[in-house]
Amino acid sequence: MNLERVPNEEKLTLCRKYYLGGYAFLPFLWLVNVVWFFKEAFMKPVYTEQLQIKKYVKRSALGLLLWVTVLTTWITIFQRFRAEWGEVGDYLSFTIPLGIP
Amino acid sequence: TSTPACCGVLPFCRTRKMDLLSSKWLVNLLVCCLFVGVGCNSVEKKIYVNLNYTVPCVRLLNATHQIGCQSHLSGNVGVLHVLESEENLDWVLHSGLTPPYLVILESSLFTRSIMMKLKNGSSRVAGVAVVTPNANPSQGTSPHTSCPNENTGVYTENYDPTMARCNVTVWNPLGTGLSYEEFDFPIFAMKEDNDTQVIRQCYMDHNRAGNGSTPQYPLCAMQLYSHMSAVTDTATCMRRNNINFSLSPEMVCDPLSDFNVWASTRPLNNTAKGHKEGESVVLAAARLDSRSFFFDIAPGAESGVSGFVALLAAAHALRNATQEAPPPRNILYAFFHGETFDYIGSSRMVYDMEKNNFAVDLDNIHSVLEVGQVGLHAESRLWLHSDPVSRKNSSVNEEVKKLILRLQSAASGLNVSVEEPGFSQPLPPSSFQRFLRARPIPGVVIEDHRSAFTNSFYESMYDNAEYLNISYPPDLTPDEQLEYVTDTAKVSPTLAVATVVARTLYIQAGGAESRLGSINADPQMVTRILYGFLVRSNNSWFQQLIPSDLRTGPRTSTWYLLANLTGSTVNVMSDTCFNNCVFVLLPQMYSYLWVQGAAPPNSTERVGFCMRSAARLSKALSPAFDLHEYTSKDYSTWTESRWKTIKGRIFLVASHELEMLTLGVGVGVLLTSLMLTYIMSSKADILFSSGREPANATY
Repeated sequence: MNLERVPNEEKLTLCRKYYLGGYAFLPFLWLVNVVWFFKEAFMKPVYTEQLQIKKYVKRSALGLLLWVTVLTTWITIFQRFRAEWGEVGDYLSFTIPLGIP
Repeated sequence: TSTPACCGVLPFCRTRKMDLLSSKWLVNLLVCCLFVGVGCNSVEKKIYVNLNYTVPCVRLLNATHQIGCQSHLSGNVGVLHVLESEENLDWVLHSGLTPPYLVILESSLFTRSIMMKLKNGSSRVAGVAVVTPNANPSQGTSPHTSCPNENTGVYTENYDPTMARCNVTVWNPLGTGLSYEEFDFPIFAMKEDNDTQVIRQCYMDHNRAGNGSTPQYPLCAMQLYSHMSAVTDTATCMRRNNINFSLSPEMVCDPLSDFNVWASTRPLNNTAKGHKEGESVVLAAARLDSRSFFFDIAPGAESGVSGFVALLAAAHALRNATQEAPPPRNILYAFFHGETFDYIGSSRMVYDMEKNNFAVDLDNIHSVLEVGQVGLHAESRLWLHSDPVSRKNSSVNEEVKKLILRLQSAASGLNVSVEEPGFSQPLPPSSFQRFLRARPIPGVVIEDHRSAFTNSFYESMYDNAEYLNISYPPDLTPDEQLEYVTDTAKVSPTLAVATVVARTLYIQAGGAESRLGSINADPQMVTRILYGFLVRSNNSWFQQLIPSDLRTGPRTSTWYLLANLTGSTVNVMSDTCFNNCVFVLLPQMYSYLWVQGAAPPNSTERVGFCMRSAARLSKALSPAFDLHEYTSKDYSTWTESRWKTIKGRIFLVASHELEMLTLGVGVGVLLTSLMLTYIMSSKADILFSSGREPANATY
């Protein structure tokens, strides 16, 4: 979809939909929001809806940052300590590597 | 193509159409024939030489440890190095310039000190390949522990602290414990054959440092695959076996399990389990299994085979006496499997007896006579071991003394002396210990060693026919070898033990003394059985008695042999014998086996027959797995890991720098071509428009 040809109100509704959708545990929607609307929000000349779009993009970026931090921390801890957790680690895993603890 | 107008009227039209078709087929056939003559060459075969005979060491787990070897999932690659001496290890561990190394050891260097040093330097060691010689070494060595099964016998701290942990006698003084160490590189065994010559030649050509200079790349390398799936201990691997919600459920290990073989001289009702009123049983026990450092090599000639062959011969010697003049007590022959790994078979039988899941009960057992290691000559002396702790009870002591007297009187007139060790000593590792754990039963274990083992290759791959001096004159065919009564069979304790055991069992069961002289073990039978288990199992006698697909391993062969040696023929058709479903047969009292039999002299068809006997199998799986107590200290918890591929191959390997250079050049070519394409496409109008200008000028 080429944002050049989309009227501004539709741009706003798109941005809002992606922003609201990201709350359903879908951080990739926020990522898409940030990447797609970044130019619109910060690099285009000012138009009426731009303030709202800016707000949504900023909030999406914040949410995305939070998700990335949480996931990275959990993944690091899990990969590092799964072997030591024994039974709990095995029950949390989908695929357990063969031959190594 | 349209059909000619005359088709359907005149016959030759069809042939013309067929002519067209057949010529097409002819052309196709010719083209195919051309392809048949074309050959192909595989690049893989030019690079790698696969090893044909590879015997790995595998990973075993118990409640607390993992033992054995492990390799990476994609195999361990190491530059070959043939170790010359223990000092040469320095090259592998410290000074060699091209680690990791794959060390080739002669069997004389496969010692504990070298293996421990290699284990400690395992970042530079990719694996070990041991070349097994054709002849046994002169020095005795045993990879087993020096105190076998010390945690699951009867001598615990509670029973008698002075006798626990081999405080009185170290049974296996030559034991290095190598089989119970953990290595994180693969260890393979190779025979002295063509493959090993190829490997040595490759090493000489490429890896040998000539005149003090370091060997240059490309070097000869070997890759060994033996990735084991299980890890940590039995509880972990059983848990991973049972996880239901993983994406790809996979079994990673299996508990060690097999079957015990047992038979009774008077058939017992096998469907009525538990205590049998009025039944008093003399238990004659022996061990079926053995092991070595490597997987599936377990000759166990002195460790296991000598004992159970003696008991089989005794069962055969007793057949006539027990059928013509049956003694008042029953005699139960029991061959236990899995005894090497913390008494799997005997602990299971005791457990079954305690839970009323076996044909008799522990209260039915009157006494136990076990045949241990009896294969070595050792001045023709047999030693009777008994448990001093249970003998503190006077009634048990009386029974044991009576049994020993009977054994000594049975041995009189034979060329063997039978005596007690003469001092207070615990029982050697034997299945009888598990029965003592449950009940103080009087019993004796017959061995050929007075205190420590005389077997210098206990549970080793060298414990084979050569160690028992079973040799034949060189020009005999296999059939002649089968029938040749070797010196071993003639004068060894195996034969004497069989006769002594048979006579003692008869007297112990209450039989008449007058019949003793007629109970003798048959040297022909002993020699045939020894030949079948130690030299070649695919001989004509075994082929008659045991189905061909079941001849691997001692369990089924012992079962069929016991059935043949103690049972009798029944005249029924083959399918009724096999299915046990004809009402005239008695499956609860007997077991029926279909035996292939021999071919009569005039034909090649084997004449089979149905053998009815009291020989049965009973499951030998440690009770820990039925009770799901995977950290049990009372029962064996041994499991064996599963694996995907076991193989090895050799090839030439290039230096790391060359590999990086090749990769770098490739990446450079890729980037250059991408850049060129980008430049050309962005300047396409300049590059490609010059040809069009003359075309504009039209005339």
